[in-house]
Amino acid sequence: MSLYELGVIIDPEVPPEDETAALERLEGIINEAGGEVFEKDAWGRRQLAYPIRKKNYGVYHFWKVNVGGEVLEKLNFEMRTNDAVMRSLILNMDRELRRKRKMDAKQEARAAKKAAKAAAAVVTADVED
Amino acid sequence: MRPHQKRRFRRRVKVCRFTVEKINYIDYKDIDLLREYTPTNGKILPRRVTGTRPAFQHKLTRAIKRARFMALLPYSGS
Repeated sequence: MSLYELGVIIDPEVPPEDETAALERLEGIINEAGGEVFEKDAWGRRQLAYPIRKKNYGVYHFWKVNVGGEVLEKLNFEMRTNDAVMRSLILNMDRELRRKRKMDAKQEARAAKKAAKAAAAVVTADVED
Repeated sequence: MRPHQKRRFRRRVKVCRFTVEKINYIDYKDIDLLREYTPTNGKILPRRVTGTRPAFQHKLTRAIKRARFMALLPYSGS
């Protein structure tokens, strides 16, 4: 199981029930494999930076998903074959954030060291007085 | 005096924004941030211009290319 981020652009001209159906199918695939969608971020209708399928608008959905990696193939296949989905992108956030966590930890350690040093300096100053 | 001696530039000190603000992950959905590194022609500004550290420039390019794929940023012009 790892953390993934899923981005989908849905065709804006598709009827709303088809849109929800497409999203439900994606969620169904994830839940079937024992995963879960734990954060849904719907940006709604947005102008595209360039036309896709001769359309200037798209409906954006971003999900944070916790699933096993073997489902990705299925998800990608579903998104490719579903006519409502115009574009999709799956990122492995565990891999993406590994570097960030490392850097955060490093910075925190450095800040802690600095604070300790400052505290020590205060103590010695007190002693000198 | 020869012109190149006469003219003196005071070069502005460039700082890496990501180092200063401690942004350790560049998200492709953060379009306002990415916009600052893509002029209206849609190209990615080189680190020679922006002063971004190499490690962050790599992340930035990746984020911008992802944003382009998701039609959040243009490939060219806008």
